Amino acid sequence: MATYQENFFTRGPSPLARVTFFSLIAIAVMIADHRFQALDVVRFGVTTALNPIEQVIAWPARGLTTLTRYFRDQDALISENKALDEKILALAADGQRAQLIAAEHKHVSALHEANNRFQREGVIAEIIRDARNPFARKIIINRGMSDAIKPGAVVIDGLGVVGQVTNLGATSAEVTLITEKDQSVPVMIVRNGLRAVAAGNGREGLIEMPFMPVATDILVGDALVTSGIDGVYPAGLSVGTVTVVDKNPAFSFARIVALPTSAPNHHRFVKVLLAPVIAGKRATNYPVSDVVASDGASSAKDKAGSSRDANREAKLEAKRALRQDAR
Amino acid sequence: MDLSPLSSDALRPAAPPQLVFGALLIALMLNLLPWSGTALLIRPDFLLVMILYWVVHESRSIGQTWGFGLGLVMDVADSALLGQHALVYVLAIFLTQLLRIRILHLTVFEQALHILGILFIAQAVYVGLNLSLGREFVGWLFVLSPLLGAFLWIPAHYLATLPRLRLRGQRRLM
Repeated sequence: MATYQENFFTRGPSPLARVTFFSLIAIAVMIADHRFQALDVVRFGVTTALNPIEQVIAWPARGLTTLTRYFRDQDALISENKALDEKILALAADGQRAQLIAAEHKHVSALHEANNRFQREGVIAEIIRDARNPFARKIIINRGMSDAIKPGAVVIDGLGVVGQVTNLGATSAEVTLITEKDQSVPVMIVRNGLRAVAAGNGREGLIEMPFMPVATDILVGDALVTSGIDGVYPAGLSVGTVTVVDKNPAFSFARIVALPTSAPNHHRFVKVLLAPVIAGKRATNYPVSDVVASDGASSAKDKAGSSRDANREAKLEAKRALRQDAR
Repeated sequence: MDLSPLSSDALRPAAPPQLVFGALLIALMLNLLPWSGTALLIRPDFLLVMILYWVVHESRSIGQTWGFGLGLVMDVADSALLGQHALVYVLAIFLTQLLRIRILHLTVFEQALHILGILFIAQAVYVGLNLSLGREFVGWLFVLSPLLGAFLWIPAHYLATLPRLRLRGQRRLM
């Protein structure tokens, strides 16, 4: 039942005093969040509390999506099937070539005793929605802290790097896309091995390569992959393709724009790579790459052993030949 | 002592808390729908409109403290920098508190016009805040959001007062 309150006159601080107080606190909170990332606990708590509400609200929308997908035009499905068939044929050749290259790569890495920095372990996650923030390029996925995802984990899709986990709930995570302004990825140009840093430009879903001298050897169509030197992104993941190279001698830097290869808007599933490689640690310390690394190491050892035997035999042979000559 | 004029509703009994917080929860849920793209830009802030409604009609229970708290919730929900919505909500509530007694004497449509001004200032502060943090400008469609929010004031007014009238009627019968 409604209660009757007898305060005719306002009590406590005046509205002006309150607004000053709360504004100052809000600004302090913004600084604490922006500069020091000090309020992740608050975020985690509120995200986890809001999660059930969001799931309840998502039901009608999800039902509608399922319904429209169910009634989708058969023609669309047929043409999609045809396109997929063609794609399979095209990919079959690529697949065989990839096998060959993988075999070669194994030999080369064994010879050089190089660490294999590719990661295989990951969690498949579904994209729930875009972040409701027109100023940010973020997506929300349905896996979180309970799936062993850590802040900073790299997220990829079938085509390339999508982004990085920047906030965690218990069963959801916020992924900042590589196209978000100032979100940077260390990249390498496949053609000539040139290393650089690519950063999102915050609009149109593009990435830029700032601070590249005009004389840099970059061409339109160059493929960018992660260089792996930062220790966060594993090496060799596809990042993008250079679409614009504007070398104006009036400026000291070239304007280089690339189109990301990943397309998180076009499908629903992504893969979150677990346990990012930390700089300074050898990849062989990680269980993730143990299989590959131990394979490489053992075959390298075998090779080294066999070559030593071969050397010894060659020497013996030479000695025998010398003796025969002497006689 | 504050001797500012009393509002005409000073003697009116308070609305039941379940109505106040139920309406706020529904507004929050509307805000939490998976909005994206253009719809996100022109989406009215349901929660802010509902908060302002209760600031006008239930000034004794809903004030800047609630605005600040719900603003923080919206910041987390929208993956925004923590404190942005809190600041915007607190400022909007302050302006509403200044105009409150005046608003109560107006018709619903005139009230909506006042709310339009307040929502527009709030939106301008929000966009300005993001631009000052180095974000890209998102286009002019965002000015539609306060307009739709002001339109919402009219149904919100009737929706929130109807159950209360019913409750009051029941009590009179008892």
